[in-house]
Amino acid sequence: MMKKLLFWSVLILLGACEEQVTDGSRLDDHVSKPLVLTSNYPLYYFASEIAGDVVNVQMPDIDGDPAMWVPGAADIPQLQAADLIVINGAGYESWLAFTSLDTDRLLDTTEDIQDLLLPIESATLHQHGPEGEHSHESIAFTTWLDPQIAIEQAGAIARGLSALVPAQAEAFETRLALLEKRLDELDGSFEQVFTNLKNQPLVFSHPIYQYLQKRYGLNARSLHWEPETEPGTRDWIDLGNLLREHPAKLMIWEATPLDTVREKLVHMGVRSVTFSPAGNQPDQGDYFMVMKDNLLQLSVGMGQKQ
Amino acid sequence: MTGAFFLGWRYLRYHRLKSLVLLASVSLMMFLPTATRLLVADSATALTARAQATPLLLGERGGELELVLNSLYFHAEQPPQLPYSALDDVEDSGLADGIPLYTRFRSRGAPIVGTSLDYFEFRNLQLADGRMMGLLGEAVVGANVASEQGIGPGNNLVSSPETVFDLAGVYPLKMRVVGVLARSGSPDDDAVFVDVRTAWVIQGLGHGHEDLAQGKSSGSVLSRAQGTITANAALKQFNEITAENIRDFHFHGDTSGFPLSAVIIVPPDDKSATLLRGRYQNHESGYQVLVPGEVLDGLLETVFTIQNYIILGLMMLSLATIAVVTLVFLLSQQLRRGEFMTLKRMGASRGFVATLIASEIGFVLLGSLVMTAILSWVTRHYATEFLLSLVAL
Repeated sequence: MMKKLLFWSVLILLGACEEQVTDGSRLDDHVSKPLVLTSNYPLYYFASEIAGDVVNVQMPDIDGDPAMWVPGAADIPQLQAADLIVINGAGYESWLAFTSLDTDRLLDTTEDIQDLLLPIESATLHQHGPEGEHSHESIAFTTWLDPQIAIEQAGAIARGLSALVPAQAEAFETRLALLEKRLDELDGSFEQVFTNLKNQPLVFSHPIYQYLQKRYGLNARSLHWEPETEPGTRDWIDLGNLLREHPAKLMIWEATPLDTVREKLVHMGVRSVTFSPAGNQPDQGDYFMVMKDNLLQLSVGMGQKQ
Repeated sequence: MTGAFFLGWRYLRYHRLKSLVLLASVSLMMFLPTATRLLVADSATALTARAQATPLLLGERGGELELVLNSLYFHAEQPPQLPYSALDDVEDSGLADGIPLYTRFRSRGAPIVGTSLDYFEFRNLQLADGRMMGLLGEAVVGANVASEQGIGPGNNLVSSPETVFDLAGVYPLKMRVVGVLARSGSPDDDAVFVDVRTAWVIQGLGHGHEDLAQGKSSGSVLSRAQGTITANAALKQFNEITAENIRDFHFHGDTSGFPLSAVIIVPPDDKSATLLRGRYQNHESGYQVLVPGEVLDGLLETVFTIQNYIILGLMMLSLATIAVVTLVFLLSQQLRRGEFMTLKRMGASRGFVATLIASEIGFVLLGSLVMTAILSWVTRHYATEFLLSLVAL
């Protein structure tokens, strides 16, 4: 009997001493170098140039245009582990509407220059259900094609990095100044080349050059042609109609078009020039080399060497 | 002396029924007031601990208790909804961070809590398996939901329709479970967590459908005129968000006007909290900022008052029980006169007989103490759960 009593007493005492034990990993991840992710290549390049080797700057492995990217389940851990996610803003990262991220870690590089952003006018209205007529309007997002806006974006990145690693703020400022100088020079080069095109009608294969058009006062109209796709009959008729009222001799493409398309355009009196927006990591070179190549292509297209 | 204890023990064993009735009466007499106190004390601790860990709550003006209980325990009635812009207002003030809560929907009885990642950090919730929700349509489940429903990362959950007969109402959304939270001993164990935008998709404020501008959707188009496309009833809307259709999901209208149940306000210091509370004191804002601890203190004050009345009643009952037990023992002594006389004739002293009677009483009291301890332990173990089930009502 006494043994039983002792047993129960010990059991009760053990119960009183019970503690709630939890396991599992902490939500916080600790890395030795702050991890900064960028949503496209220009931002990656600017951030890398400003950060030096103080910060681990990365860009998700994106196949195709980063503007069309949607993170997959495999990308989420990297996005959620980042100390800072540098985004272009202006509606570029449509994937933000589908992802759960710590908004405090997002750095919108165009947040402070909303007045410089350009709305896209052509949005299709549609209607279904009781909600009535609506459209999914957007803003032109290839902001970095205006080097002065790119300078603003680089400045925002420098401020974001300084907040992340305050001890390196001075170094970031120094590197930012160098980057700004190079972007100013690029602006000058663009200005020089586009001056000769100011009064000429141009055609863009895709509506992604709004900031370039505004910055350099270009007289251009945009199509919705893909460089890797053969345009349909309707597209050629539309182009013919467009050229009658807007007699362009130059068509600017985001990537090299198909040879057949290029030749057909030549027959219509239109030369094709490739001007890459450099949205994704180039196969060779860096941001400025891509832009230098763009300038060269333009000069050749206009029949004048740079 | 050992002989007296032995005889006492044998007597109680022989009169089992009588002994058990005595044991049960004395045990209950001791247990009931103790259990009442334990239950109330433990429940109060559990209630206030979560409330104390929640600095401020922002909600639409209305029932304070409803707002607090719904925000802390995801049960009780839905408080009046407030727009998402209320959260922006808090953050724009620069005085505090805000965490959205939208608790309108359920999945197989478990509350679906639409929130942000900040919630998990705020409540110090840890992952036991998988990862945090990262995409629209993904869910993280509490430990109890995972074990009771037998689900984990890779499985699916479906939101429950609000009413069976509302054909035009909220349609179920199939959600992918990507993580399971470690047990926290809180209502978070019984909840399903999604991004607040996923909760809005469940409500139908956001949806996904075929791209009407594409030729393949021609069967769903009623008319195309002057840049306006009107869809017919054949338009296919998605009831699951997948990697293939996630781009087709969108929200209509300004999301700043979309509903929330409450906002958890996390100010960095007392000064910011006071300033923020001051801003919402006037009735013009339409919102109320509550200190959950204060609201629950009011509730507990009532509970403690009731507890005192109950204990008073139980004490009176205990006195009556003591009187009855004493009477039983006295009458028992009268009935056992012959037995005691026999013992004396056999040479037992008066002390021996007194020890025998005392040992019987002692065994009953000791047994009752052990029973009370066991019952108290059981009560203490389930007190919190019991209280939360009451809150759920």
